[in-house]
Amino acid sequence: MIDPELVGQELGSVRFPVERSKLYELARALHDDDAAWHDPDAAAAAGFDGVPLPPTATVLADHWRADGALAPALALGADLGRLLHGEAAWELLRPVALGEELRATTRVVDVTTREGRRGGTMTLATIATDFVAPDGEVAIRRTDTLIETGEAAA
Amino acid sequence: MTALPAAPVALAAGDAMPPHSVGPLTRTDIVRYAGAGGDLNPIHHDEPLARAAGFPTVFGMGMLHAGVLGMRLARWVGPTHIKTYNVRFVGQVWPGDVLAFTGTVASVADGVATLELVVASSSGGEVLRATATAAVAA
Repeated sequence: MIDPELVGQELGSVRFPVERSKLYELARALHDDDAAWHDPDAAAAAGFDGVPLPPTATVLADHWRADGALAPALALGADLGRLLHGEAAWELLRPVALGEELRATTRVVDVTTREGRRGGTMTLATIATDFVAPDGEVAIRRTDTLIETGEAAA
Repeated sequence: MTALPAAPVALAAGDAMPPHSVGPLTRTDIVRYAGAGGDLNPIHHDEPLARAAGFPTVFGMGMLHAGVLGMRLARWVGPTHIKTYNVRFVGQVWPGDVLAFTGTVASVADGVATLELVVASSSGGEVLRATATAAVAA
């Protein structure tokens, strides 16, 4: 169960490099085979100053967490059998260059409860992850809403 | 495939994103995204586990279709001009689904467009609703 006492706490921090092979793999998995997503020459030919990052490229940090994409939910103490990913939001604050290393630090912003439509109390947790560039600036901020649905009545 | 725009594009309220579809979605599409994106939650690739959990089969992770929509958004407004991208997951995506990606410009003010986007599946209607903001040409 998501612990409301965790508001304000940090849920973990990882460093990860923005790598060409992972960008290629991600673009391909997202059904876009444009070389500009991973090849600096193709990006330059298309008029970009370096390869652009896909809007959801922050997922690549999950490879560096022991529990992968589930790491924040597990750190929250959520019951995975009742957990839904409600929302995800990105603020793309400044460009990120190929080869840069970002530090992703996740914290709990809010935990609230609400009566579910099908009975039981559901818990909503808002978590924010700052992706900080080597110069200390936040390059990307990602905010997620995780929903733990109410336990089914016995 | 149209080129990925490097410069801001001119958009006005009511303009539509070039429509796009992906599918029918395969289990391989889901597994490819699991490996690329680092989401190895077994509910998305382990058929016996998904059935034991009460699902008819495995289902796609929301970040897969949110990610594909992000790429379509980037191809529309230019990847370096997106300022915010917010998605709300409202339904599940199953193997065999054809996904339709659409978007419209809600408004433009001070060189920033507010966009409304939807992913709909052939089996269940809307599965994701999104809003985004992007810098646009004057």
